[in-house]
Amino acid sequence: MLMPKPDEGTIAKRDEIIRAMQSIVSDEGVITDKEELRAYDCDGLMAYKQVPLIVVLPESTAEVSKVLKYCFENDVKIVPRGSGTGLSGGALPLADGITLGLGKFNKVLDTDFENRCVVTQPGVTNLAITHAVQHKGFYYAPDPSSQIACSIGGNIAENSGGVHSLKYGLTTNNVMGVEMVLMSGEVIRLGGKHLDSQGYDLLGVITGSEGLLGVITEVTVRILTAPETAKAVLLGFDTSEQAGDCVAAVISAGIIPGGMEMMDTFAIQAAEEFVNAGYPLDVEALLIIELDGPEVEVEYLIGQVNKIAKDTGAVHVKISQSEEERLTFWSGRKAAFPAVGRLSPDYICMDGTIPRGKLSEVLREMNKLSKKYDLRVANVFHAGDGNLHPLILFDANNPGEFERAENFGSDILRLCVSVGGVLTGEHGVGIEKRDLMGEMFTEDDMKQQQRLKCAFDPNQLLNPGKVYPTLHRCAELGRMHVHKGGVKFPDLPRF
Amino acid sequence: MQISLQTNPVSLQTNPVSLSDEFLEELRTVVEQRLSTVDAVCFQHGKDESWHESMPPGAVVFAHSTEEVSEIVKICARHKIPVIPYGTGTSLEGHVGAVHGGVCIDLTEMNEILTVNAEDLDVTVQPGVRRKQLNEHLRDTGLFFPIDPGADASLGGMTATRASGTNAVRYGTMRENVLSMVVVMADGRIIRTSSRSKKSSAGYDLTRLFVGSEGTLGVITEITLRLYGIPEAVSAAVCPFPDLESAVNTVITTIQCGIPVARIELMDEVQMKALNAYSKFDYPEQPTLMFEFHGTEAGVKEQSEMVGDIADDNNAGEFQWATKAEERTKLWQGRHDSYYAAMALRPGAKGMATDVCVPISRLAECILETRKDIDEQELLSPIVGHVGDGNFHCCFIMDPDDLDEMARVESVNKRMVMRALEMGGTCTGEHGVGIGKIDYLVAEHGEALSVMRSMKIALDPDNIMNPGKIIKL
Ligand SMILES: Cc1cc2nc3c(=O)[nH]c(=O)nc-3n(C[C@H](O)[C@H](O)[C@H](O)COP(=O)(O)OP(=O)(O)OC[C@H]3O[C@@H](n4cnc5c(N)ncnc54)[C@H](O)[C@@H]3O)c2cc1C
Ligand SMILES: Cc1cc2nc3c(=O)[nH]c(=O)nc-3n(C[C@H](O)[C@H](O)[C@H](O)COP(=O)(O)OP(=O)(O)OC[C@H]3O[C@@H](n4cnc5c(N)ncnc54)[C@H](O)[C@@H]3O)c2cc1C
Repeated sequence: MLMPKPDEGTIAKRDEIIRAMQSIVSDEGVITDKEELRAYDCDGLMAYKQVPLIVVLPESTAEVSKVLKYCFENDVKIVPRGSGTGLSGGALPLADGITLGLGKFNKVLDTDFENRCVVTQPGVTNLAITHAVQHKGFYYAPDPSSQIACSIGGNIAENSGGVHSLKYGLTTNNVMGVEMVLMSGEVIRLGGKHLDSQGYDLLGVITGSEGLLGVITEVTVRILTAPETAKAVLLGFDTSEQAGDCVAAVISAGIIPGGMEMMDTFAIQAAEEFVNAGYPLDVEALLIIELDGPEVEVEYLIGQVNKIAKDTGAVHVKISQSEEERLTFWSGRKAAFPAVGRLSPDYICMDGTIPRGKLSEVLREMNKLSKKYDLRVANVFHAGDGNLHPLILFDANNPGEFERAENFGSDILRLCVSVGGVLTGEHGVGIEKRDLMGEMFTEDDMKQQQRLKCAFDPNQLLNPGKVYPTLHRCAELGRMHVHKGGVKFPDLPRF
Repeated sequence: MQISLQTNPVSLQTNPVSLSDEFLEELRTVVEQRLSTVDAVCFQHGKDESWHESMPPGAVVFAHSTEEVSEIVKICARHKIPVIPYGTGTSLEGHVGAVHGGVCIDLTEMNEILTVNAEDLDVTVQPGVRRKQLNEHLRDTGLFFPIDPGADASLGGMTATRASGTNAVRYGTMRENVLSMVVVMADGRIIRTSSRSKKSSAGYDLTRLFVGSEGTLGVITEITLRLYGIPEAVSAAVCPFPDLESAVNTVITTIQCGIPVARIELMDEVQMKALNAYSKFDYPEQPTLMFEFHGTEAGVKEQSEMVGDIADDNNAGEFQWATKAEERTKLWQGRHDSYYAAMALRPGAKGMATDVCVPISRLAECILETRKDIDEQELLSPIVGHVGDGNFHCCFIMDPDDLDEMARVESVNKRMVMRALEMGGTCTGEHGVGIGKIDYLVAEHGEALSVMRSMKIALDPDNIMNPGKIIKL
């Protein structure tokens, strides 16, 4: 993985930068000690590590603004960081950059039940938002598995989702407003407690921008009334084709379940061994379908799903009889990653999205790839919205195995794109998928996207090296005219 | 050529560019005889459905493909001639006016429905397809596309204005329902913003940027939209209230209880009078809510009972149910025609539909103060609203030649917008900015506007895409 060459000039100025930061934030808000810095050397993508120049932990928007302004004027790079659970290397530090941690922004500012929204600081964890409102029967819907740890700011930066995103949407569908500091130090507010506003949808652009456009310092999210009832159905199938058919039939019948998750044999066995969720072990594919809403409706829909499942060949059907049992059904799915992790020294988690109809084709091809690379793969899958999470198992101590796993992963993502899908459903591009962006977007598509960046961060100081394989200078992007045959940039340094 | 800047947002055309014969000849090499410079055609294409005067383009071309649009834009870019995309011209803020003249690209002949993917619940269409045409095409599939602005607009125009409709409270607006598009950029390059997938976190979300860009960033030539299954059961009801406040409070409680109503629309007594006269109903001429419930038989029954209880608590009158499909069609068509019904109250007058959106907790207050202001200024203006989202419209029925009346309209409108902004709302819930709302956008967005401006410059450095709209450069 090639990262931009660190700028020696900035590294040489380290002491000066530290002094400047100490004049802006409190003393313990500037971390300079090599050992302490190590705690920040990677995010959830632990294969890549880099100690940052320093870490700065501001406590207020005004401080963030001053830090950014200083960096803007002095050409210092910034990497924003929430809780560091990202899986694509978005918060990977730079040797010549400040890691700006939002950990001290940990307060829920306003719970507004009348307008069904919460205003919070970005460092607050996803689950803490639900905790702040559940006493009144509300919750925050997007639920990444990492929700106890990941920050709402990171969720916005990655447009994170979870098992309930099928019905309730990703982060982008649940954010109503943000306050953000631009690289120049300017503070802007987008959206708010009302539904919609016009002009360019900057909020839409910010969501999923992986810390490349600005630092989010305040967030307004929508909260929902907790459904009256929720029940889960556990369905086992002999083939993944049948499970795929069942998913398609449920959706085509106009039923949008609260969650619809699929696991393959390997993942089922690993999870069952780990948490005893009561999964059948003799099936090739397991579906967990959750229905939520008013009691009468849930009962009725469970009947419908049951019928569809039988028609598509389910050999195992179990309906949760109590809240406790429903949670047990989910416990296996929620623990799937660590469960698989126990079976192998190392694994990498992929994240691609495919049109739902292509599921069986993709699983078949993936099995072929698994044989080709001689590596095992376990699949957990947000089946309803076509988001795959293949876990590739390997042992980093065996020479060459990590590279094989990486190549296997790249092939899986290429496969997703080739059937009309995307490289990443919810984990972001970061550095992990950066060099695959070309599989999905043309050079023109990517240049248009990067032009946007120029409107926010013309000097490319915010999180450089992430998301886009080739860093174009804004001046160069400004040259709009395409000449016949198009100018490619094969000779430009990839950092 | 020097493109001069516009100073007054509602002023007439300024310095329209003249199009040379050579330039027009060049365009004809792409579109052949599908180019018109006839005054009547240009006049019609420079005007929308509102009171804004026509600002005719110098020529109108009727495009047939993405490639053609790309060639047209390339020619215009080379000559720095403004390009104005045109759907069906039903927008309300002077969106299609050729402020500086130029070439209007009419997309109505690109009206093919390309692919329906029932399994993935999506459809890909050309931009000239209209919303009713799409739903007729889908009828046999058991699917439908929910967004329904009052007019039978084009999906390209709806995407470009981020249109909303009566059931946004359940299905969202165009923002939630556009999955991907093909766009011809200001230099003629063709890009795809994303794939058909439901979920993506790859790269910046250009899809969201183009939804609502009002033709100022590029021409949308293909759109992939999300579809929904037609619900098993649907029922609709009309219910009168003694006053606006109790109607609005019913809405607030319904939303807060999380009842998944599909539609919840408010019409005040003036609008009910217009509706009865125009669509031949005989509903009580009182503030009224119209509801629609979607779901399973049992679910719909339960939802309507819960809403019935809430309405009772607010002193509602009798619910009138529309369970048959034809009755519902008539009812919602009546709602969709409310603009024309309002104008029929005063033959010969023009309409100016305003559009504000506030946090729902402030909705009652905002509507009541506005109603009071309208009455005090002795203006005619029914109020309707997609109130489930905190969005409502006053429709001033006015005589643009009566300067005194216009001044009163403007002052009421200004106070309403400022009131909405102070309450944490917005002045453009769904009709967009166009030229009519440019100044208000400044009040609403502050610093963020400079980012929007740099974004526009980054993507359209010569300012040829629908210049003079959304932001002043
Ligand atoms: C066990 C496990 C399970 C997971 N499950 C899921 C899942 O189910 N669904 C899912 O979507 N993800 C999942 N993730 C991934 C991860 O939790 C999410 O991407 C999460 O949103 C990251 O949040 P964070 O606070 O840790 O961000 P970080 O990792 O700290 O940062 C992520 C990116 O956001 C930027 N960023 C962070 N805060 C800000 C800010 N305030 N302003 C601007 N930019 C900012 C960073 O620069 C970086 O590019 C999982 C991760 C783990 C480890
Ligand atoms: C009676 C009535 C009721 C209405 N009710 C509603 C309502 O309930 N909700 C609502 O949101 N709106 C409503 N509107 C406003 C209007 O119908 C919408 O704004 C609609 O989306 C405009 O679509 P159109 O095809 O007519 O676009 P046009 O008016 O032709 O164009 C609108 C804008 O979009 C641009 N544009 C059009 N096509 C393209 C394209 N392919 N690529 C790029 N840019 C393009 C144009 O340049 C222009 O700036 C109503 C209008 C009327 C007359």
